[in-house]
Amino acid sequence: MGDAVISQGLLVGIMATGIRLATPFLLAAIGEMFVQRSGVFNLGVEGIMLLGAFMAFFVTLQTGNYYLGILVSLAVGALLGALMGVVSITFKAEQGISGIGLYMIGWGLSGLLFRLYLGFITTIEGLRPLKIPILGDIPYIGAILFQHNWLVYLAYILVPVSWIVLYKTPWGLKVRAVGTTPEAADTLGISVDSIRYQCLILGGMLAGLAGAFLTVGQANMFADNITAGRGFIAVALVYFGRWSPLGILAGSLLFSIASSFQLWVQVLGIKVPYEMAVILPYVITIIALAVSFGRVWAPAALGKPYERGTRG
Amino acid sequence: MKKWKKVIGVLVLMFMMALVAACGGNPSGQGQKEGQKDGGQAQQSQKVRIAMVVASTVDDMAWSQSMYEGLKAVQKKMGEDKVEIAVSERLGDAVNAGAAIRQYASQGYDIVIAHGAQYQSVLREIAADFPKTTFAYGTGFQTAPNIFAYDPQAQEGAYLLGMLAGYMTKTGIIGVVGPVEAGDAIKYNYGFEQGVKAVNPKAQVRIAYTGSFGDIVGAGELAKVHMDAGADILTGSSQQSVGAIKAVAERGKYWLSTDMDQSSLAPDTVLAAQAYNWEKVVTKMIELRKQGVLGGEHLTLSFSDGTLELKFNSKLADKIPQEAKNAVEKVKQQIASGELKIELPKEQGQKQQQK
Repeated sequence: MGDAVISQGLLVGIMATGIRLATPFLLAAIGEMFVQRSGVFNLGVEGIMLLGAFMAFFVTLQTGNYYLGILVSLAVGALLGALMGVVSITFKAEQGISGIGLYMIGWGLSGLLFRLYLGFITTIEGLRPLKIPILGDIPYIGAILFQHNWLVYLAYILVPVSWIVLYKTPWGLKVRAVGTTPEAADTLGISVDSIRYQCLILGGMLAGLAGAFLTVGQANMFADNITAGRGFIAVALVYFGRWSPLGILAGSLLFSIASSFQLWVQVLGIKVPYEMAVILPYVITIIALAVSFGRVWAPAALGKPYERGTRG
Repeated sequence: MKKWKKVIGVLVLMFMMALVAACGGNPSGQGQKEGQKDGGQAQQSQKVRIAMVVASTVDDMAWSQSMYEGLKAVQKKMGEDKVEIAVSERLGDAVNAGAAIRQYASQGYDIVIAHGAQYQSVLREIAADFPKTTFAYGTGFQTAPNIFAYDPQAQEGAYLLGMLAGYMTKTGIIGVVGPVEAGDAIKYNYGFEQGVKAVNPKAQVRIAYTGSFGDIVGAGELAKVHMDAGADILTGSSQQSVGAIKAVAERGKYWLSTDMDQSSLAPDTVLAAQAYNWEKVVTKMIELRKQGVLGGEHLTLSFSDGTLELKFNSKLADKIPQEAKNAVEKVKQQIASGELKIELPKEQGQKQQQK
């Protein structure tokens, strides 16, 4: 094991795998960040991811065109986001519970559609890694950062883009306003419900895309419950990242690089009990959350349905 | 105004739940309908009614599907009118599974199979309330008067697959994509490693676990890490392995299957497979029940009685050196005749003997 190839390649291997593993978390968590910033708590991310994963895979398999598959997963995500809106905004149902309902819909429906329209596990070619010219040839850095498929790049580009959208655009201001002081926003003529719907639809689309990444960009297959809890981790990462794009990036990378690290530790036969290795990413993330200073801030209206004229 | 919105909200929620119940429930169990027709007591006919509870789905290309296909084969052999099958899927946690098992027992199913080691304790509880019903679970060895435990000797086939890997590897590095370090996986991995060492003492067998049985994406990523680190032949158990097979296929390396023959998934990748012949096991349970034995036996799956099988992928037959094939065949005979016993890790071996 002491050979040079492995020790040199080790860091590159850990980092490159970590960058790839973070992609679905980034996509789903940034979408959920907008949802929560607008004051809605959507626990159904996992369900949207599952259905997005299935639709992207199925359409790609049928048409051979993964752009089409990804588009359909965006549409399905938007639809499920809107459904969450109907339940939680228009009908003001308990958000935690309707989120679980949404998860179960996604889980049940993806399994049912798989059974009805495929019935057996099959595979597709999937997205190819896209080596970026020049940048991809930089030693180490190139292999770590610039030799992934385009959905990976998209997820990372989304970090600065969502930061600009949230903090530097009128729409971002409205989102933040309805998430903290919906009454005041309402008084200013901002439609609270409309903004929340928009965020849920956006969040749904990104969750659908995160699911699509799993099936057409990572596993290149669909099987029952393929997300395996990644949607719930994404929701947790929104809290970890304190509702900011950079915080979410930090959390996603920390968790994913730790995951990648523990895989390499196991594969290279470094003697640690495997249970220790497997829980490492969770432990590191919890420790980071515990020791990171600063006040814990959450959108003030998070989880509360807005009813005009009930307060103030 | 506020009130009716709440009411509709609740209605929408209920609709969602109903939809979920319809989806997640029982898409493949044609047995349920027939069961109602019989009014729950099928004693008047000679029909054997078998129900099964699985953690994943019957199309998982692994553990659950292998048993489901075994049941189907029994049904085909004995006749559709003689065997009725019902399945409940996605019951990974023991509490929900317990509800389904109890329901099947109270509906008068003759044999209720809980296809996983995690159901052992819940099965014991329920079995005591239904002394006339036969229960079965695996992998395990603890039985009761009306509980059969079935127990694949996964180390036997694993040893043969390990030999193949030892002959075939060029880099000298073999990767194991394990699910959780427990029961079956430990037996399989332990046997596999011995098989490799028997023919290629210099080869490294690198065992890693994902910590999950069903994380297909995670298994694929672990396989990629194995290959990045130099492995050119990989193996692994549980339903998550399909994700690893796909990753291995994409890089043109080889895979060795267990539970069932997975070569249909990747015809150019899966060299050989250890397959469980559940048809024989289930048939044996039916026969024992006919003789009045409702349980109490520890049914092992092994090469000696044909309940374990080694299947080669005919498409890749010419890739395996004749020397390797001959050696594997010879050892297979030795295992079947009892001449060669594959060692188990100490703890597991002791449990076996306690029975």
